[in-house]
Amino acid sequence: MELKICHLYPEALNLYGDRGNILCMKKRLAWRGIDVSVEGCDIGEKKDLTQYDLLFIGGGQDFEQEVLLSDLATGKADAIRAAVEDGKTFLCICGGYQMMGHYYETYDGTRCEFLGAVDLYTVGSKTRMIDNYAYEVDTGRETIQVVGFENHSGKTYLGAGVHPLGKVIAGNGNNGEDGTEGVRYKNVFGTYSHGPLLPKNPKLCDLILETALTRKYGSCELSPLPDAFENLAHDAVLEKIKNHTIA
Amino acid sequence: MKKPDLFRSILAVAACKAARGVLRLTGRGGTAAPGKAALFFARDILARTSEGMEIIVVTGTNGKTTTCRMLEHAMTKDGSPCLANKSGANLLSGVTAEISCNADWLGRPKTKRAVIECDEGALKQVVPLIHPKVIVVTNLFRDQLDRYGEITHTRDAIRTGIEKVPESILCLNADDSLVSSLAENVPNRVVWYGVNTPLGDQRDPEVSDAKYCIHCGTPYQYHYHTYAHLGDFYCPHCGYHRQAPEVALTKVEEMDATGTRAELSFGGRTHQVTVGLPAVYNLYNALAAAAAGTAFGLEEDGLLASLADVHSSFGRMETFRTGQALTQMILVKNPAGCNQALSYVTGIQQDKVLVLCLNDRTADGHDISWIWDADYEKLAGDPHVVQWYVFGDRAEDMQLRLKYAGADPAKIQLLHNEEEILKMAQASALPVFILPNYTSMLSLRKVFSEATGGSAFWK
Ligand SMILES: [Zn+2]
Repeated sequence: MELKICHLYPEALNLYGDRGNILCMKKRLAWRGIDVSVEGCDIGEKKDLTQYDLLFIGGGQDFEQEVLLSDLATGKADAIRAAVEDGKTFLCICGGYQMMGHYYETYDGTRCEFLGAVDLYTVGSKTRMIDNYAYEVDTGRETIQVVGFENHSGKTYLGAGVHPLGKVIAGNGNNGEDGTEGVRYKNVFGTYSHGPLLPKNPKLCDLILETALTRKYGSCELSPLPDAFENLAHDAVLEKIKNHTIA
Repeated sequence: MKKPDLFRSILAVAACKAARGVLRLTGRGGTAAPGKAALFFARDILARTSEGMEIIVVTGTNGKTTTCRMLEHAMTKDGSPCLANKSGANLLSGVTAEISCNADWLGRPKTKRAVIECDEGALKQVVPLIHPKVIVVTNLFRDQLDRYGEITHTRDAIRTGIEKVPESILCLNADDSLVSSLAENVPNRVVWYGVNTPLGDQRDPEVSDAKYCIHCGTPYQYHYHTYAHLGDFYCPHCGYHRQAPEVALTKVEEMDATGTRAELSFGGRTHQVTVGLPAVYNLYNALAAAAAGTAFGLEEDGLLASLADVHSSFGRMETFRTGQALTQMILVKNPAGCNQALSYVTGIQQDKVLVLCLNDRTADGHDISWIWDADYEKLAGDPHVVQWYVFGDRAEDMQLRLKYAGADPAKIQLLHNEEEILKMAQASALPVFILPNYTSMLSLRKVFSEATGGSAFWK
């Protein structure tokens, strides 16, 4: 088996330790003897997105997001929308997650048109939602508790046709109002958990990998790995969050 | 800036001194409380207690403390006194404490000169009160993002500070495209400093904090790199580019674990200097100090000699004689600084023990994502690392990072308190390298300096 990963805008959207997510997917596939390749596709690069199984978009600085909107308009936006509808697996984080939606409206009312690949939109707010947080995800097999770090001032609202990725246990999630976190649409996983989301949440990582492998090979069950360090790191943060529940 | 009246000044200074006295009696080096006490009585007490002083302020992500130590050395070479906030308490409260505790009871400064380290976010509160003669901005890297949001916000915060003091001379790192942009459209006199020669392997950095032109968004090109996003940058689209530095490093003669011999050019002359600290980032600190010292009006020879004198400062790169072997402590708090420390440690070709400490308290930043951007793979690939220890609030995260970097999980051990680390270091036959972040450094340094006879940091 082989999984082809495309890291979209690895240089423009690289702010918060996203490298940890790529590293985690690579290692967890390699440890199971599954071949994996990761290719970047940056501003100005033309690549055929249909050749990949999993597409990753990370978070970025406000400033840099503007830079790549014009690049998206050169045809990448159409390719991304087509890949989503085709059932390709996406992991989109923070700025990358917002970018999959219809638009971002800043606090002073300026609207930035985004991809519209997933039915959601984001509105800027004055407060920044920053801290460790946790949410519950139903993997179809079990309910897992995901821990992460959120840092966003945009509030995201989901449209009728999509589901949240999870339910907030502590923290803000999509907007701090409706208890939802992230999005799940076809095989798109979107979340505000920035940076190294996957290493501490091995079950979520495996769910995403299985989704991509199943789409490609019809079925797939990943063998278990010794996740002692992963679970220790996960549990330590979860306990921290529960102990001083975020204001 | 309006100064507080005499009555409030007296109260504020008295409160500051009393709070510090209590802390010292109880053996604690806490530095925020005295400043907070003073601020309670007079919000702008600094304007009075610093009146008439000549001050250099150093801000920027990395190198603040080392640059300050170099400048302090240079200032005191001729025996004249110089104030400095040595403890690293660099917010408004810490600066207030340092300056106000050294005022007389009427709030008049007793010392004429000061070198003040100032947090990037606090600059705009501090500088309008103290009117520094010189402001140094060392560099801007990703650091403690959860405090400032994003790196361009940090730049903007510094900019706001600078706009309040048009009379201050700016010393700016010409090699940093973010810092460099601070000089635009302000009337301040600018002294640029930078490295005129390539350093390092000239690979494009895997993670850059400033990839795109701050003006037009085009990726920067480089004539050469020095480290991280620093180097001779230019924008091929709009023409934004590095300024030729007045104070420049022109040649590196020799670099080893104790320091660097190099050639500095400024004031129309070339000088042979020795920098008493290893690694490239300390060359930048030396340049920053040379530029600020020149702008301040310090005499050249004393200034150059002081660059050699500075050996270690408060956990930045400090050595303790723990037992048969030495323990070296190197503060790391963001990917750029961490990668420099990792290069230094892997460059030492002998068997060693590594201790990595990670806290996530307010002074560290609650977000520890940056460890995934730092090149621990390089360290994990060093065959001379025989044992790993992890420690701190987020020790489990560090342990996991090492696993994914490729370190053998069987060789990684989690320690639970500072004493365990001290005992391990005392028993170790191999040199021990401790890489803590800020608050973990504070607690470790206390234990190590007590055990090895070092002095407390406020002395
Ligand atoms: Zn430009």
